Amino acid sequence: MKSVRKSGVAASLVGVLALAACSGGGGTASPEAEGDDTSGETEAAEIRLWINGGDTPQDLRDYLVSTFEDENPGSTLVIEEQDWNGLVPRLQTALASESQTPDVVEIGNTQAPTFTYAGAFRPLDGLYEELGGDDLLEGFVQAGTADDTVYAVPYYSGARAVFYRKDLFEAAGLEVPTTLAEFTETAIAMQEANPNGTENFSGFWFPGQDWYNGTAWVYSHGGDLAVQEGDQWVGALSAPEAQEGLAEVQRLFTEATNAPVDADSNEPWVPFNNGEAAMFSAPTWARWSIDLPECNKGVDPEDTSEEATALRAEQQACNEEKTGIFALPGMTEGEVATVFAGGSNIAIPAKSQHPELAESLLRIIFSEEYQTMLASNGLIPGNSTYASAMGDDVYATTAVAAALDAKLTPAAENWAAVEGERLLEDFFQQVAAGADIAEAAATTDQLIADTLN
Amino acid sequence: MSVSRTPVRTPAVPGPAAPARRPRRRPWSRWAAYLLLVPAVGAIALGLGYPLVRQFVLSFQEYGLAQQFGRPAEWVGLDNYVALLTDPYVWGVIGRSLLFCAVNAGLTVAIGMSLAVLMARVGRAARITLQVGMLLAWGTPVLATLTVWQWLFDSQYGVINWLLAEPLGMEGMRYHSWLIEPTSFYLVATVIVVWMSVPFVVFTVYAGLLQVPAETMEAAQLDGAGAWQRFWRITVPMIKPVLFVVILLQVIWDLRVFTQIYVLQRAGAPTRDTHLLGTYIYSLAEEFSMAGAMATIMLVLTLVVTAFYIRRMLRAEEL
Repeated sequence: MKSVRKSGVAASLVGVLALAACSGGGGTASPEAEGDDTSGETEAAEIRLWINGGDTPQDLRDYLVSTFEDENPGSTLVIEEQDWNGLVPRLQTALASESQTPDVVEIGNTQAPTFTYAGAFRPLDGLYEELGGDDLLEGFVQAGTADDTVYAVPYYSGARAVFYRKDLFEAAGLEVPTTLAEFTETAIAMQEANPNGTENFSGFWFPGQDWYNGTAWVYSHGGDLAVQEGDQWVGALSAPEAQEGLAEVQRLFTEATNAPVDADSNEPWVPFNNGEAAMFSAPTWARWSIDLPECNKGVDPEDTSEEATALRAEQQACNEEKTGIFALPGMTEGEVATVFAGGSNIAIPAKSQHPELAESLLRIIFSEEYQTMLASNGLIPGNSTYASAMGDDVYATTAVAAALDAKLTPAAENWAAVEGERLLEDFFQQVAAGADIAEAAATTDQLIADTLN
Repeated sequence: MSVSRTPVRTPAVPGPAAPARRPRRRPWSRWAAYLLLVPAVGAIALGLGYPLVRQFVLSFQEYGLAQQFGRPAEWVGLDNYVALLTDPYVWGVIGRSLLFCAVNAGLTVAIGMSLAVLMARVGRAARITLQVGMLLAWGTPVLATLTVWQWLFDSQYGVINWLLAEPLGMEGMRYHSWLIEPTSFYLVATVIVVWMSVPFVVFTVYAGLLQVPAETMEAAQLDGAGAWQRFWRITVPMIKPVLFVVILLQVIWDLRVFTQIYVLQRAGAPTRDTHLLGTYIYSLAEEFSMAGAMATIMLVLTLVVTAFYIRRMLRAEEL
């Protein structure tokens, strides 16, 4: 009896051991196989569009589906929303497979070079002029270009702007800053003033891993994250211009914020809504997330009754009355800082089985109607001609002003790896924790160079 | 995990027409035995063999994103292994992983065993409470648990910091950042990992304890053995096979821990300073060949660490 039990243990052990030792690795989504019922002469088919995150509103998606189906009778468009988190590994597997690849794919602007160089996309040369040509956002086109061929075109862009509490500024007797240096002074003065006596109050919400915002100081001082020298990339954080910017960043971290060193740029409006921060910097669509307690009417966001809608409008108006917005100022008065340009590109995967239909969808996306719809939803459209449709309220004008000078991450083939390894999150966290800037920059430059080359 | 499942054995009943001492096997029955193995072997070969071979082959190539989209892969021999094994950072990751594994597996087994013994001693109501608690901890999805733990340890709004600061009066801990220092990061990770794996140890060891015959214990007690002696001299040797399995599995699981570390890193820890083998391999995923080489190194490491146990286990079977 005893030996039987033992060998039972051993037998099941071998199986479990094999399983336990070898099953590792990252999980990937398993998109369902594409419906390959391509019958009929017009090659009608179902094509799939991958959209990331919730930035594309539902009515825009509905518009794409119905317009596509009108223009391509018999064909259908399925939009699948992907999460920004873990997008790179998901694309690595899906785009390499004929049966799993979507037919049109949205990709983060900083991830675009990696996939463009890898040959993941179909060249768009024939279509480029038709989609907008030189009117397309230039930095984004560069991010989607390899060896003078365009593979990925800009979908939308969103620059960061600074939101601030008007009442707190007034109470502290502060004005909206007009230069970058003044911004630091204002943030520090704000934190010292702390008009409401809030515990753990931040003049400017600046969490330690927030490299998206930190980069603005590096760029505005004329620095860069990495530069190309010959055919090699080198990290540029040690360059004097970048160091100047980083010194300012460290001053903000130490004197103008009480944000945790171990937090990232997600949801900066939470402390703002709690009254724990007087300013935060985020893409301009963050206006919809501002929800000050003194304005909150306690309506259910799902409630669609007329009364609730009216209350929500009142609430939004109250929030926007108490909140101001300005573009981060530049080095001299009247100038705007060079901030990090967020946004995404859109491309047709090389393995797509329905490239003609995919091109038809791209034409719809770059049509005046759709570009205007993007703009009126607060996103800077890929074709800059239609940016005027964003309206002329303070949010729209600030967004456009901030975006004019915005700059992307280096268009290096392996840039996605720098983000994958979270080198910049780590670096800015070290700066926030009070590390020696020159030393930390030298180490990170080396890591960036190792990763890019 | 079934500890007490008996393996299929060829019936050793002698046929009526077989006067020989050893039963003569009919030829088809031998083939049938092999045939019965096919589904299991096939599944393992397909599910584990293919990725393993692929990983092994990749580790000798230069294979990145471009190769995945059709560029031919270059053979680079041992370059990937040399690059990894000459990097002091990699050795740091290996060292940290081994230490993390030893501490976690040790703590898990120690706590799990204690709770199992407790469970065998307490009354019915207490036992059921324990069992339900354990099952809940074991049954909650990993990501859900991690979200809760993350909230608990949040530096600004977390309950742990609040508890330390408000009722306990440690004002300095009000906005303490738990994840920013690698040591305290691993402390948090250990709490979470141990918490999640203890129930498995408790249930397995408890099942083992139920198999220890009461008469033996009674006899030992009559012979004058104290409670402590009875535990170490009788109970432990009797549930040894179970303990071996539990320890072995814990070592393997804790060596390749991934989800907990990955999620905690994203909750604000310095990524590079907190990598363990699992997350490090994942961070290499831009270059599949490098990741493949690192995964192979990890596999060898796992086999080396567990070789002792496996040998013991196989010997136990021969007895």
